Amino acid sequence: MQFQCDTTSRKPIYRQLIDQVRRGIARGQLQPGDRLPSVRQLSRDLVVNPNTVARAYTELEREGTLLTQQGRGVFVAEPGNDLTKKARRKQLSEKLDLLFVEAVHLGFSAGELLTMVQDRIGQFAFVTEEKDAP
Amino acid sequence: MIQINQLQKSFNDKKVLNGIDLEVAPGTVLGLLGKNGSGKSTLIKCALGLLRSTGGTATILGDDAWHLSAATKARLGYVPQEVVSYPWMRVRQVIAYTAAFYPTWNHALVDQLCRQWQLPLEDRVGPLSVGQLQTLGIVLALGHEPDLLILDEPVASLDPSARRHFLQTLIEIIDQPNRTVLFSTHITSDLERVATQLAILREGQISFHGELDELKERVKRLHINSRQELPQSFAVPGALHCEVEGAAATVSVANFNEQLVDQMRTTWNADIAVHDLSLEDIFIELHE
Repeated sequence: MQFQCDTTSRKPIYRQLIDQVRRGIARGQLQPGDRLPSVRQLSRDLVVNPNTVARAYTELEREGTLLTQQGRGVFVAEPGNDLTKKARRKQLSEKLDLLFVEAVHLGFSAGELLTMVQDRIGQFAFVTEEKDAP
Repeated sequence: MIQINQLQKSFNDKKVLNGIDLEVAPGTVLGLLGKNGSGKSTLIKCALGLLRSTGGTATILGDDAWHLSAATKARLGYVPQEVVSYPWMRVRQVIAYTAAFYPTWNHALVDQLCRQWQLPLEDRVGPLSVGQLQTLGIVLALGHEPDLLILDEPVASLDPSARRHFLQTLIEIIDQPNRTVLFSTHITSDLERVATQLAILREGQISFHGELDELKERVKRLHINSRQELPQSFAVPGALHCEVEGAAATVSVANFNEQLVDQMRTTWNADIAVHDLSLEDIFIELHE
């Protein structure tokens, strides 16, 4: 995966890196067990302060997306989730509502929105259906 | 590494620095941002003992700025805004001449930098372009691998490719522990890449000093849409700018927090959208 950083963006660089890793995983470009460039390597490739890269990695590690193995490197972690399905459903509903607000303001009908969702859903690496746990 | 307390500098009766407090810890890469004429160069020169301050103190690597010891000077690297060198010497000779002053000089590093930046070693310094002179100044300041590197608008005269080379070199330098860098600039994108901290110089004082991300989290633009006409008395505490038009308002704030927004939602019965700002936008918001 190719990282990028945009210094004219409103988003801090560490946030941009976090979003790119999460997007890469969601789109299946990054798989569990894949190794990411080291902090030093990425800092040199992107010409950004190593602290900035370290901050992004630390945050991704804290949320369980990445895993550092001492001496071996930084890897994409196996998917896992501490939150209950109910809590996750609530989080996702909030994000969905944001999408609906945008769609309404951009003048799309519910049907058009559904079609767009169907068209794009294949581009992402969803988990296979799981039983509804409490 | 640098400790500045209540520093003052006046030229005749013109006050340029009016009580500067600034502390730079080892390992920091501090970007000093300010408008033209805000006193960035004056501050740097006072901190280096190149100008005598008219009040307060500046200490650098433990020495008073006006009385720097040779040992301290050997740990310092400085690139002035306008590099002055010996026009009759060849580039190669200026480098050798400078190297002779330092007990430790990394010849391999200097050779590598000269190649990277395509410095014409056999040319005389006199006819070099401003950009080439600046590049030479940077190479000369890096040769003895200083613990503290101070750069006054180091990239102002460099072309985009030389600027990128410079930033790459800077990243390599700060990759080693406890290398401290202070650089003034008004190119916010460079700052965003390499700086860990930011200090904003405004009207002779430091108006902000802290982490870059912290500044971005504090300065936000709020778009307010009320369900009724906003009254004449509409105001937001800590607002930098406020534009009201009927039931809508755009406000930029320097002390953003969620409580403030919640409070405004209820007070003005409004929808509020919070927008991040780029460093450049923030700089402009803070200065106009």
